[in-house]
Amino acid sequence: MATSKTPYACIGLAVTLLVWGSVWGLFYAPAETYMGDVQRIMYAHVPTAWNAMLALSFAFLCALMSLWRSEMAWDNRLEAALEVGVVLSALLCMQGAIWAKPTWGVWWDWDPRLTTTAVMVFAFGAILALRQFVEDPVKRATWSAVATVIAFADVPIVYFSVRWWNSLHQLQSSPETVSKAFHWPLRINAFGILFLMIGLISLRTRVAALRREEELAPPLPETAPRRAPIAEGARS
Amino acid sequence: MNTGVIQGGWEFVWAAYAVTATILTGYGLSIFSRYRAALRRRSAAGPGVTR
Repeated sequence: MATSKTPYACIGLAVTLLVWGSVWGLFYAPAETYMGDVQRIMYAHVPTAWNAMLALSFAFLCALMSLWRSEMAWDNRLEAALEVGVVLSALLCMQGAIWAKPTWGVWWDWDPRLTTTAVMVFAFGAILALRQFVEDPVKRATWSAVATVIAFADVPIVYFSVRWWNSLHQLQSSPETVSKAFHWPLRINAFGILFLMIGLISLRTRVAALRREEELAPPLPETAPRRAPIAEGARS
Repeated sequence: MNTGVIQGGWEFVWAAYAVTATILTGYGLSIFSRYRAALRRRSAAGPGVTR
């Protein structure tokens, strides 16, 4: 198993970028014309959204590779990407609720973007729960890969929901839809969460691999047979 | 007069950043502790034994 320091380097770089981007976004970037200072939530919310979708897209790739190659290494990566993706997606919903209250007047609304995001969190969360209930590692790998491929259908729906339906949520944030004054803190935080996601997925993959190693090892005998001590004179 | 511009709101900004920092730090620490525990279990099993 790889024991390189790369995940720690990624996490260290991520922390540096996130502190830099957040300080810029909170104290140096201008306030938005209509939303005022509340818009500063964007520097945390949008990078979380991009990377949550990226993590779940990586989970989809791992699921396909797991089904195609039938290698446990892909299942380990799938487990890691699913967990990181679900944590980022749940965090995304919380940040969104905090931003929604001062701008929309409510913490939550059954708007297409919010509803499809909630479905995404629960669908991928359910796959993680499913993995806990299946003891056979081969069945677990196959079932969770198939479920991931099915659940992934919701990810592009989440992304395009603001274009396809009449939504309270603004359009996707991109260099075309965000003023230039907001670009740099947004970019820095986006790379910060990207490196954090890479570091966390790498470390979580190692945890999954170690657990798999434990599962696949033969059980230890209850009482190991003891060898008779060798008498000193009998050695030669 | 209502100008359509949101006034204040820093408490929401701090709340969003606090929630983000808490969840990401907590989750990172949870992965790290699970990794350390798994390594400890493996080394306790002895060389060449994976259980």
